[in-house]
Amino acid sequence: MKKAKLNLPKRILVVNLILLIILAGISFLGLACGSTGIDFLALIKIIFKSEINESMLPAIIWQIRLPRVLLAALVGATLSLGGLVFQAILRNPLAEPYILGISGGAAIGAIIGILLGLSRFPGVSLFAFAGSMATLLLILVMASDKTILKKDSLLLSGVMVNAFCSAVIMFLISMTQDSRLHNIIFWLMGDLSVADLGQTFSLAMVLIPCFIIIFYYSNVMNLLLMGQEQARAMGVNIKLVIFILLVITSLMVSSTVSYCGLLGFVGLVMPHLLRIILGPDHRVLVPACILGGGAFMVFCDLLARTLPEQGEMPAGVITALIGAPLFIYLLKRSSR
Amino acid sequence: MNMKLKKTNIILSCFVLLVLLVPLNNISAMEIKDQLNRKIHLPKQIKKIVSLAPSITEIIYALGVEDLLVGVTQYSDYPAAASSLPKVGSYVHLDLERIIALKPDLCIATRDGNPLTTIERLEIMKIPVYAVDPRNLETIIQTILELGRLLKAEKKADFLAANMRSRILKIKNIISCTQHRTRLFFQIGISPIVSAGSPTFINELIELAGGENLARGPAAYPRFSKEKVISLAPEVIIITSMARSTVFEKVKAEWNRWPDLPAVKQQRIYLEDSNLFDRPTPRLVDGLELLAKLLHPELFENIK
Repeated sequence: MKKAKLNLPKRILVVNLILLIILAGISFLGLACGSTGIDFLALIKIIFKSEINESMLPAIIWQIRLPRVLLAALVGATLSLGGLVFQAILRNPLAEPYILGISGGAAIGAIIGILLGLSRFPGVSLFAFAGSMATLLLILVMASDKTILKKDSLLLSGVMVNAFCSAVIMFLISMTQDSRLHNIIFWLMGDLSVADLGQTFSLAMVLIPCFIIIFYYSNVMNLLLMGQEQARAMGVNIKLVIFILLVITSLMVSSTVSYCGLLGFVGLVMPHLLRIILGPDHRVLVPACILGGGAFMVFCDLLARTLPEQGEMPAGVITALIGAPLFIYLLKRSSR
Repeated sequence: MNMKLKKTNIILSCFVLLVLLVPLNNISAMEIKDQLNRKIHLPKQIKKIVSLAPSITEIIYALGVEDLLVGVTQYSDYPAAASSLPKVGSYVHLDLERIIALKPDLCIATRDGNPLTTIERLEIMKIPVYAVDPRNLETIIQTILELGRLLKAEKKADFLAANMRSRILKIKNIISCTQHRTRLFFQIGISPIVSAGSPTFINELIELAGGENLARGPAAYPRFSKEKVISLAPEVIIITSMARSTVFEKVKAEWNRWPDLPAVKQQRIYLEDSNLFDRPTPRLVDGLELLAKLLHPELFENIK
């Protein structure tokens, strides 16, 4: 409660500094741990001295673990930011790209792209974007109907869209019979192992401008939460802003889906957790979601890589295992 | 002017020197092409290999060069000694970190299963990957010969190839005595019922062993309904599942509910080891011989 007394820029700074430290700490853990063992000392040595010894550890850390940690951070940031934006625009605390079926739509597009034998970028990504835009349109058409604007009905229509997307995905999978099948299934459950530094970098080139644009509109999101009438009275071009935000968010979500598949609940857990701690101001929440979401995802991926004795687990399994119970707990606590 | 010329001269001569030196450095390494026609640079001596599929592990053991193996994938269970080697993930989901930590001079991959993105990343990290792509018995023999050359086990490879060829020829000769093609339903999946279509090793083996593959067709692993299988009236049903014999008894009991099915009438429902039929290794010929005996027992009565 003390923080609330600080003025805004200072508050943004303090909050983000703390979250940045958390993200850096978890990333450090992520770099130190892997399927070949955990070695903090060696990591510190490699970071600060960059000594070249016979061991393969530097190569493993820089070329395998680092791209993964970066990708996880980017994806986590994107998904939790996506959740935050949807929650603001739809004025529904349960909105999230995964639950609303936006991710599912992107996945359908991506699977079609993969089955057509396109390259991951730009082919599959474009299909994923088209898929997510299509589901978004569907949800908006349903939501624009006045009778359906209530929170629960919007959520229900989202759940239905998501269920439909899952059915289409299952249909596509059952039509596939070759060796790509296993990869598609693993990818669907949220797989971060594909990352190399180049791909992560090109993904960052798409995502970071999106983050900046969304931060630019963070105050407008505050106004939107007060209601569209009030926002219009404050001189906001609501239709344009909502359009830009939705397109930007779909672009972000679909590009992460085309790389890493479906990672659920990240967009719910982080925004809610941060809102409970930090309050409803989006100017604080937007950067906090980027850093906090990134840290959460890096942590989940770390567990996915190191928990199983042999092989690894899809990261989406971990996000859902942690996310869903945490979400139920938050829901219960906030309703009390 | 003069100074500039001198400078360019020095730079030029440096370039020439470099160009001359580069091939000298590379003499130790060898450039070859793998079965996918990709160029790979091999180190002078191959001391450590990681096998990226169970079938490749089997071939390496068959060639007698298992001392080179430092890592294998999950389910590399034949011969039994292979299971104790360090694992680098499953062949469809390789663990890059573990592969690199083993510092192999060479990885041997298979096109059917190993994801291309992983292979590309291994190459970016300067680990050469030799990819094989066996499609039928003849290319399996070629693969064994090629790997034999690559791993300096030519003699053993020649022996293996000659042995496989002569055994295949023997089966061909025996089967040529009959016109009958036994109607076989080869069940590789229990629930759902899955069989093997034309683009599989199983189909080639069935045809060589004098059988009619009831699942032939463009799909590699087509799914079947019980109804469809019964309407095809197989004379023999072979179930190759990773499941244990208790499950087999259950599946057999399921089929026995249709006493009019030729395979049930003649009691010709068998459980066999799937690894003999779907791994491109020398053992595939064992599978062929087994299959021929199951499909045409009458032809093998006098032999032995």
